Amino acid sequence: MIEMFEEWYKSRHEYAKEWKDKTGGKVMGFFCTYVPEEILLAANVLPVRILGSHEPQNVTEPHIFGMYCPFCRDCLAQGLLGRYDYLDGMMIAQSCLHIRQAFTSWKKHMPPEFTYYLPMPHQVQSPRSIPFLRSELETFKTAVEQWVGKEITDADLDRGIELMNASRQAMRDLYDTRKTANPPMTGLEAMYAAVSNQWIDKAEHTAVVRDVIQKELPGRNLGLEGKTRLMILGSEDDDTAFVNMVEGCGSVIVTDDHCTGSRYFWNQVEPEEDRLLAIAKRYITRPACPTKDWPQRTRLDHVRMLAKQWDVAGAIIIQQKFCDPHELDIPEQRKSLDGIGVPTLFLELDVTVPVGQFKIRVEAFLEMLAEDDLF
Amino acid sequence: MAKYPTETLLSWSKAKEIRETYYKNYAAAHDKGGIRWVGGAWTFDAVPAGLGGDVYSLTSEPYGASCAFNKDFSTRAMEAAETAGYARDLCAYMRNYWGSILMNEYAFGGPFPKPDFIWQDHICCSHAKWYQVVSELEGGIPMFCVDVAVGPAEPFGTLTEAKIDYVAGQILDGIEWLEKTTGRTYDDELFIEACWNDFRSTSKWAQVCELNKAVPAPLDEKTMYSLYVLATLQKSWGVVADYYDELYDEVKDRVERGIAAVPNEQARVMSDTQPPWSALKLFRYLEQYGVVSVGSLYTFGLEGMWDFDPASGDLVPRPMPSKKPTTREEAARELVRWHLHKPEYQHFYDCDYKSQMMIAMCKNYGLSGVMLHYNRGCEGLSLGIAENRLAIQETGYPVMTFEGNMGDEREFDLGRTMQRVDAFMETLGVKKVAA
Amino acid sequence: MYTAGIDVGAKTVKIVVTQDGKIVDRQIVSAGQDAQAAIEQAWQSLDTPIADIGLIVATGSGRKSTKRANGYVTEVAAASKGAIKTDPEIRTVVDVGAEEGRAIRIDQNGKVVDFAINEKCAAGAGAFTEAMARALEVDLPTLAAMSLKSTGNVAMNAQCAVFAESELVTLVHSNTPKEDMAKAIHDAISDRIVSMVRRVGMAEKVMLIGGVALNDGFVASLANDLETSVIVPQDPQLVSAYGAAILGEEGNYAESLSETME
Repeated sequence: MIEMFEEWYKSRHEYAKEWKDKTGGKVMGFFCTYVPEEILLAANVLPVRILGSHEPQNVTEPHIFGMYCPFCRDCLAQGLLGRYDYLDGMMIAQSCLHIRQAFTSWKKHMPPEFTYYLPMPHQVQSPRSIPFLRSELETFKTAVEQWVGKEITDADLDRGIELMNASRQAMRDLYDTRKTANPPMTGLEAMYAAVSNQWIDKAEHTAVVRDVIQKELPGRNLGLEGKTRLMILGSEDDDTAFVNMVEGCGSVIVTDDHCTGSRYFWNQVEPEEDRLLAIAKRYITRPACPTKDWPQRTRLDHVRMLAKQWDVAGAIIIQQKFCDPHELDIPEQRKSLDGIGVPTLFLELDVTVPVGQFKIRVEAFLEMLAEDDLF
Repeated sequence: MAKYPTETLLSWSKAKEIRETYYKNYAAAHDKGGIRWVGGAWTFDAVPAGLGGDVYSLTSEPYGASCAFNKDFSTRAMEAAETAGYARDLCAYMRNYWGSILMNEYAFGGPFPKPDFIWQDHICCSHAKWYQVVSELEGGIPMFCVDVAVGPAEPFGTLTEAKIDYVAGQILDGIEWLEKTTGRTYDDELFIEACWNDFRSTSKWAQVCELNKAVPAPLDEKTMYSLYVLATLQKSWGVVADYYDELYDEVKDRVERGIAAVPNEQARVMSDTQPPWSALKLFRYLEQYGVVSVGSLYTFGLEGMWDFDPASGDLVPRPMPSKKPTTREEAARELVRWHLHKPEYQHFYDCDYKSQMMIAMCKNYGLSGVMLHYNRGCEGLSLGIAENRLAIQETGYPVMTFEGNMGDEREFDLGRTMQRVDAFMETLGVKKVAA
Repeated sequence: MYTAGIDVGAKTVKIVVTQDGKIVDRQIVSAGQDAQAAIEQAWQSLDTPIADIGLIVATGSGRKSTKRANGYVTEVAAASKGAIKTDPEIRTVVDVGAEEGRAIRIDQNGKVVDFAINEKCAAGAGAFTEAMARALEVDLPTLAAMSLKSTGNVAMNAQCAVFAESELVTLVHSNTPKEDMAKAIHDAISDRIVSMVRRVGMAEKVMLIGGVALNDGFVASLANDLETSVIVPQDPQLVSAYGAAILGEEGNYAESLSETME
């Protein structure tokens, strides 16, 4: 049952194509988790997050300057190589510059029938951002209605909100099982579950998550008790080879703060009469991406809370090479975690990970954590 | 015998004086009980002006560029920032600035003057985060930051009332915050006057740039760097607005009399993004080929205010608002509407907008080619630059690219770049002019 | 009287002597530690007496060391001219030397339309293959031969030579066949070069010049990545020197160097 997530992770394109054949619906590729999927689900569109394939490629050089991150390069490569040729639409919610570059280049050279740039506000700590985002959601909803040729009613929005909320709750519950001394699932399995949730039909994915929690995990013993408990945090990270290596060194990853992980599903839409306002509030108050975490650093408290509740011994901070927003947070993030006795290891991700080189550092880090235990 | 007559620019030394006064004013502000604040070159500097006539600012990008001129200082600043754990590929201005705080050295001499508050705006990922770190390094000084990233302005998008509300609303909140932070009463009259000066400076600078359509070009880009910088320091300062009026008259007179910036002008190019500041001799090298860089969307539109007219395919200096605002609210909205049209904001939403404006410049300024600086020191202005290159080439203009860094000279190789220029000149069919 | 083109590279000094566009003499010597001495040795080992050479045009990264030169041309111009003179149908020139890789698109007259040069990084040049061959403890011809025998498909990250070397060590430890590693090395450098070719826009036919063109393994990877055949002329490392000589015959050269280069 739990293997379903890995299967979905590996067959994302086949899944979306079959979904289209089966439902006759439209598929929307999206670039950032600030995209309000509630509105897409309300229009019966399947949102699929665009991610890279972790292979070397030579097609993006004419389009993206060398100092932009490997993730945006890898995403754009997928477009230029035609791997997402089934997309009917493609959109981004405003976050970092690098992923925006992937979006605009893709739009320019391989445009699907519908593209949209949602100016998601950056100043999420100002109350002014809520009415502004609400108005942008209204404009966006109208654009989607015109695209799919159908009005989006309040009932539709309610359905979108319920699907997203149910999925978020299920994922929270799944992550909660990892708080136990003997986690019933590995970090790799959790990554497959969290990442595949970003392109699988929400009802279908939630049903499997619920089944796994109720039927598979109780009593499941992977012998993870006593392994060093780690969290991972930082930029986009769907690098399963990396996670597999880290866990292979005698650790277990029990939680994360990534947009490909817990940041995506952390908080719910609190229903209210004005549905778009309710949706706007959810995205404004969600755990922030570093691009939007100012003037206060709310991420520090959020990450400390995760570290405490999931009882981690150490944290691996991984960022995409050249990711400026994360680079601007990392020195403070390290101090903050050090302050609660959680040592950190900092690593930079590229399109492919030099597993051997990283393994040496991870092993040394785990040794250091083991020595800490002695005193 | 040179092809055209040339003369030094008379108002050059005045620009230099204004710049020096600006940096001294900031350092000395506290001596007379005045206020010091810091923020970026794009911040709404007209807003703190309402706190009184003794309020002085230090803008960070021109400060970071000033550091870059001093290689030794800059290298030590960079190393200080790196030692503190900040990545080497971050904005080079930012690292020069943080390094100054960490070393407690002001690039113009003395210890680094600590600001009373931070007043910043945000469109690039680094803008607000830059000052978040400054606040921390300075021991927690208060910070306010206005998000301006609401999407493109006309003709590329539509500035809806909700967008204006969002940005202007933050400014109005900011004014209350300024009163609380400084304990001063806010003067709307001073604010309105400062807004008006801002419109004057940024509109007039665009008109100065437009004079470079003339052949021979009255200004070359290297000179323009020393002139546009005043608007990056304090566009809302009456002294700056007055200076641009004076400059406009002088440059217009040069055009009428056929005075050239490069006496042997035989081909015209433009650049893009901030240059490697420690190596401006690159532009002098172009002169050996009789090539003048007439500017860039960067020098024209970083502070200059323009409207892009797709029908005529030209950038037109944005006309001044028809009347002065009369209330705080009106002024805030007018200020926002004005600045959201900034050419250098538009490419943050789509590289295509910038390509359209750059191609317009190629056509209307009689260019033979374009030299793009792939600037490792600034991810914001490098956004979309590779697509700009493709779009400009597609229109038929040759493009040369060179990698470098505006503020970290360790990442720029002058010798190799000059070799590239040589090869590009062969492409343009331009040969060196006998001196 | 003859005309000579001299290409002073990071590893070797190449001289081609021409008369009316035809090559009459040539010489390649290793640059060693002392470029001046190597250049002099190259002149002395020509069959043609120096006194019979009326014009000398220099190119290459070390062209400033050429005291005898009467004129200079850029590497881009020399490579383009040499290529189109060798085969008039060439529209894309890929020049991979010891420390620099270049892609140049030219028109039917050999005029440069666009060019790209790999930035400060060894991953796009001959030095990269040499470093990797050392890591595998084989010589270059062996590396090339091994790579052509590969049946697998192992990917390496081509972003950085330092990272690449460590990846290679990982591959060694995971018992990856040496043939597949050799191919991965050539694929990695080829990825880097092909990125540049895409940047300038590929137009057929494509000619590969420079010392790395002698490496069959790399040529195979490049042709595979470009999805077209790649023409490798006889003596690919001499093409730029030949181009410099031709530009000399045509009078298309600069009489002085860039200021900073002196």
